[in-house]
Amino acid sequence: MTDGTRVRAEYLRLVRPQRLMFSSSLESLRQRAQRDGGFANLAGGEYRADATAWAILALSTAGVAKDLIGRARASLANRQQGDGRVCISVDHPETYWPTPLAVLAWQGSPAYREPLSRAVRFLLATAGTHWARKADSAITHDTSIRGWPWIADTHSMVEPTSLSLLALRVTGQGGHERAREAVRMLMDRRLPKGGWNYGNTSVYGQELYPQVENTGLALTALAGDVPPEEVRSSLNYLDASIQSLRTPLSLGWGIMGLGAWGRRPVRARDWIMESFKRQEKYGPYDTMLLSLLVLAFHARPGPTGVFGKMEGRTDGP
Amino acid sequence: MGLDPRNRKRAWTRREFLRGAMAGGVLASSGMLLQACRGWPWGTETFIAKTAGYEGDIASVILAGFRELRVDPAEIRGKTVLLKPNLVEPHYGAGPINTHPLVVRGAAEAFLRFGASCVLVAEGPGHNRDTQLVLEESGLGEVLIEDRIPFVDLNYDEGYTIPNAGRWTDLAALTLPATLRRADWIVSLPKMKTHHWAGVTLSMKNLFGVMPGIYYGWPKNFLHWKGIERCILDINATVRPHFAIVDGIVGMEGDGPIMGTPRKAGVLVMGRNLPAVDATSARIMEVDPHKVAYLAAAGGQGPISEFRIRQRGESIASVRTDFALMENIPAQRGLRLS
Repeated sequence: MTDGTRVRAEYLRLVRPQRLMFSSSLESLRQRAQRDGGFANLAGGEYRADATAWAILALSTAGVAKDLIGRARASLANRQQGDGRVCISVDHPETYWPTPLAVLAWQGSPAYREPLSRAVRFLLATAGTHWARKADSAITHDTSIRGWPWIADTHSMVEPTSLSLLALRVTGQGGHERAREAVRMLMDRRLPKGGWNYGNTSVYGQELYPQVENTGLALTALAGDVPPEEVRSSLNYLDASIQSLRTPLSLGWGIMGLGAWGRRPVRARDWIMESFKRQEKYGPYDTMLLSLLVLAFHARPGPTGVFGKMEGRTDGP
Repeated sequence: MGLDPRNRKRAWTRREFLRGAMAGGVLASSGMLLQACRGWPWGTETFIAKTAGYEGDIASVILAGFRELRVDPAEIRGKTVLLKPNLVEPHYGAGPINTHPLVVRGAAEAFLRFGASCVLVAEGPGHNRDTQLVLEESGLGEVLIEDRIPFVDLNYDEGYTIPNAGRWTDLAALTLPATLRRADWIVSLPKMKTHHWAGVTLSMKNLFGVMPGIYYGWPKNFLHWKGIERCILDINATVRPHFAIVDGIVGMEGDGPIMGTPRKAGVLVMGRNLPAVDATSARIMEVDPHKVAYLAAAGGQGPISEFRIRQRGESIASVRTDFALMENIPAQRGLRLS
C-alpha cells in the first residue's frame, strides 16, 4: 500500500465518519430553527431561550449558518425583558437563568451591544438569596457569599453562578466585585475531597458526592482566576471520571473544564464522536447537548476555552 | 411541627373544610362520612407483598396486587401509563438511592399485560442535570432500551400552567410538564427511604420529580424555598396521581435520600391512594405517619389512620422493619411509632 493509499484509507476510516456525524449534528441543529429565528430544544418543539443561545454558540463556533445565527440573536433580543433578563418563558420572569447564556450568544456581535449590556447590568444587579449561616445549620458552606440562582428568590447554585461568571469574564467584567465574589463562592462550594456538585458541600456532617458536569463547568469558569494547586484535586477527579464517561453533558463540560486548565485529554475528539454516536441508542440529543459537544470539540486550551475565542468575534449581526 | 390546615392560603370551601378537619382529627371518628366526602371507593386499600429480592417475577407480584386492589383491566386497556420512578443521582457503590430498574420493568410489564397501549417512564432528576448519566449508572437505561420503553426527561419538558389545587403554599399555579397530559394513569414508583428534610420519602414526595427543572431549578430549589412539605401537598393535590408502587425490597435508612445506608425490608407496597400507601409504608418502617408533617396534613387527599386503611396481602406486623432514624436530624426526630 502506498503512502497516498494509506492516508486515504485512514481518512475514510476515521476522519470521514467524524465529519459526517459532525455535519449531521449541525444539520439537526439547523432543523430546529424556527420561523421567528429562535430555536427549539428538540425538533418540532417550541421556542426556548436557552436552546436558542446554545444553538448560536454552536453554529458560530463551527463557523456555519451565519444567517440563522443573526436571526437567532434577534429573536433572543426581541424576547429580552426591559430590565435585561432573558427567561425560559415571558410568563415566568423568575426563570432568568438563561440570561448569562444570552450574553455569551450575543458576545462578539456589534449589533447586540445594547441588549448584551442590559443583560450584563441585570446580572450585576441580581443575586440569589443569601444569609449569614447559623452555627447550628445543617449545611456547612458560607451561605452569605453571593452568586446567582437558577430561579429568582432562591439560593445561588454552582451552575448558574459559573455561567454568569463566564459571561462577566468574556464581556470584560471579570474584575467586577460580583465576579470576584462569584469566584469566592465557587471556591467555598468546592467539595473537600475535590469536585463540585449542584451547590451543597455537606449536610448533617456528611460530605456529598461530586458531579462531573458541575465540576467541569465550575473549572471552566474559574480557569486562570485561582491558583492551580487549589483546584488540583478537582481536576484529578474530573480527569479520572471522564475516562469512561460518554454522556454528552458530563463529557462536554468535563473536556472544557480540563481544557481550560491545559489538561484537555488527547483523545477528547474521539470521545466526543463516541458521544455523538450514542444518539443511535438514545435518540436525538436536545439542542443544549448537541451544542455543548460542538463547543467541546472546538474548544481551545486555556482560560475561558471556547468562550474566550468569542471575545473578539465579529461574525456578523 | 405539623402543618396546620388553617394556614392554607385562601378561604376554604365547605368540602375543603371537611378535608382539612380530617387532618386535624376533628372528624376522625366519622370515617364513613369522610370517605363519602372524598369519594375514595377503593382508595383506602393498600397491598403489601413480601418480595425477597429483585430477581423474582416482580410483574406477577404487581399483578397480584392489582387483583387484590380490584384494578380492572378495563381501567388500563388502551390507556397510556406514565411510570414515575425515583431517580435522584447515581453513584457506583452508593446505597440504594434510586428505584430499582427491575421494579420499573415489573411495573411496565404488569400494566402492559393489563392492556395498556403505552407505558412510558418519566422523571426529572433533582440533583443531577445529566439525566443520561443517571439512567446509565442506575441501570435503568439498559432496561428501558431492552424493553423499548420510552423515557421522558421532565426537567426539560415543555410546561403548562394550571391552578394550584392544594394552596398549601402561596403559589397560585403550578407549571407541570406537558407529558403528564399525555398520560391516562400516573403511577408513582418511589424508593422506600428516610429523608433528612422531610422525614420519609415515599410516593407523595416522589412527585417532586415531575416538576420541571427549567421552571423550578436544581435541586428543585424553588420548591424547597416554598416549603418542602407544603409543596408535596400542593403537587399531589394538583397532579392527582392514580397509583403507587413503593420499592421497599431494599430501601434506605438514616441520612437519606442520598447518604443513608441500605435497609432490606423485602416488600412492595401498592395502592390507589398515595397518602394511604405512604402511611402503610411508614408503619412498615416503624415510623408513625401522624408524626410526619406532610402525611399528617394529607387528610384531604387520603386517609393515614390505620383503622381507615384496609390492608391486603401481608400484615404490616409481619414485615415491619425498623428503619434507623437520626437523632441529629430534626425532620427524623420523634417519628418512631410508639
